[in-house]
Amino acid sequence: MRGAFCIWQRDMLVLRRNLFSEITTVLAFPLIFFITFGLGLKGYIQDIEGVPYALFVVPGLISMTAVLAAFDDASWGMWFHRIVQKTIEEYRVNPITVTDIIVGKIISGFTSGVFKGIAVGISLLLLTGFSFNLSFLAVYLIFIFFGCITFSCIGSLCGTLIDKPENLGRIEAVVIMPIIFLAGLFFPLSAYPQNVLPYIEAIPTTALFDGARIALLTGKADFFYLSLLLTSALVSFILAVWMFEKKIHG
Amino acid sequence: MENEIELRQVTKAYGTLVAVREVSFAVQKGTVFGLLGPNGAGKTTLVNMLTTLLKPTSGSAFVGGYDVVRHGANIRSLIGVVPQENNLDRYLTARENLVLHAKMHGMHPSAYQRRIDELLSLMGLAERQKDFPNKFSTGMQRRLVVARALIHDPQILFLDEPTTGLDPQAKRAIWDYFLSLKRRRTLFLTTHNMEEADFLSDEISIIDNGSLIARGSSAQLKEAAENARFYEIEVVHRAEEYSRIFQQMPVIESASLQDGFIRVCLKKEGTLGALVEQIDPRDLKRISSREPSLEDVFLKLTGRRLRQ
Repeated sequence: MRGAFCIWQRDMLVLRRNLFSEITTVLAFPLIFFITFGLGLKGYIQDIEGVPYALFVVPGLISMTAVLAAFDDASWGMWFHRIVQKTIEEYRVNPITVTDIIVGKIISGFTSGVFKGIAVGISLLLLTGFSFNLSFLAVYLIFIFFGCITFSCIGSLCGTLIDKPENLGRIEAVVIMPIIFLAGLFFPLSAYPQNVLPYIEAIPTTALFDGARIALLTGKADFFYLSLLLTSALVSFILAVWMFEKKIHG
Repeated sequence: MENEIELRQVTKAYGTLVAVREVSFAVQKGTVFGLLGPNGAGKTTLVNMLTTLLKPTSGSAFVGGYDVVRHGANIRSLIGVVPQENNLDRYLTARENLVLHAKMHGMHPSAYQRRIDELLSLMGLAERQKDFPNKFSTGMQRRLVVARALIHDPQILFLDEPTTGLDPQAKRAIWDYFLSLKRRRTLFLTTHNMEEADFLSDEISIIDNGSLIARGSSAQLKEAAENARFYEIEVVHRAEEYSRIFQQMPVIESASLQDGFIRVCLKKEGTLGALVEQIDPRDLKRISSREPSLEDVFLKLTGRRLRQ
């Protein structure tokens, strides 16, 4: 795994170097969501299942930032190194394995996601005065970790398979954003009709967003959600590694 | 002498397109092997197979005694590669690019920091080591790629068009460095630059359309072309027109205009008179016989120029 560590170190060096611009960019998106939905609508929406609306959306915004960052970092990173810089080719003439390369990229996406999620979390806590029981944080972070692994793997997979940048953007617009918004980021799942709900609950993002919110607000780890998220992380990891190796070896 | 690189009937096909066709040769340890051919001849595909980036469709290849299919990691620890493209990391400084490469080879910082200092100095990049490669000229980027390939002191160096984009002075400095590595290292050079192949290589193979069509030392290849007759004709004017006329003549193997001179190759001796008859005496300035170049060898073998 020496190669994976080298690649991760390289990605972290670049992330550190661009820390200010990365943080500014990553904060803008969830803060606008918070202002428009959390503050703009709070006068019109009553508490949701006993939780003030502004606080209801905060855990979801943190989770969304983390997984989107993991996806973006992994997908665009892989695509850029493979198609534009062709550095993947340079890595491959070194005595490291193809698995090292993909694992390194997945870990980089994961780290970036967790880091940016934490940055947004701290900002929203300071901004909103959102408070939670510190002992609930560990369970919440388990959800975030699995979410970031899953989305980093999906991102790496997309960066491996997609050659045209516009198609990478389309995947984000047509697949990633809808499964995030469908997962009850801004409203409770109970709003869905009963016959639709089982399908929504089967989406891994529901397990992530609803599970993470429950964890942060109540400290409970939903077993079904956690299992679904763990399975998603495992399946996406196996798929990402397998497809990358297949693509590279031809 | 021991073989460092060996290919046996290696073929690489992409569906119906055959990029490399049943190529066999061996490169002896401590020599410079030049693979000469036009763009698209199969040179890079061959290098990619030897550097374990591609698997041969059939046949077998060995580098440093290791099979390219089964022992890729062993081969990659022995080789340094200068690819055709400058695939540098533009988000890392020049020095960081070299450090990353050294780390991937498992080098200790005490070993690679000193080596990087040496190479940056050798390539004339010491002053620019903290700059990012996208601020470099093409030639500087090329020198950095060469430095990167040399950090771990590889036993075998694969050089795919190594001096493309370099000015003559930088080109010469890198050639001299490659020559200084000779005997201690094995160099596998692919190029469409005849001068480069001629200057560096102990042995040259010419590849065209995926197949090897000739092999030998530079002198041997030129000697093989000697049964044809090579002349250089200087005319006062209408050089292009004469060149076109000569190309139509049945006694001419090839005719081309280079730097104002018409370079012709006759099919057989005793036919120079027929050629001279075509030139208006008032236009003729000089006719001289000349030594064949590798370009002539390629032209004679394929009927085409290396750069068309």
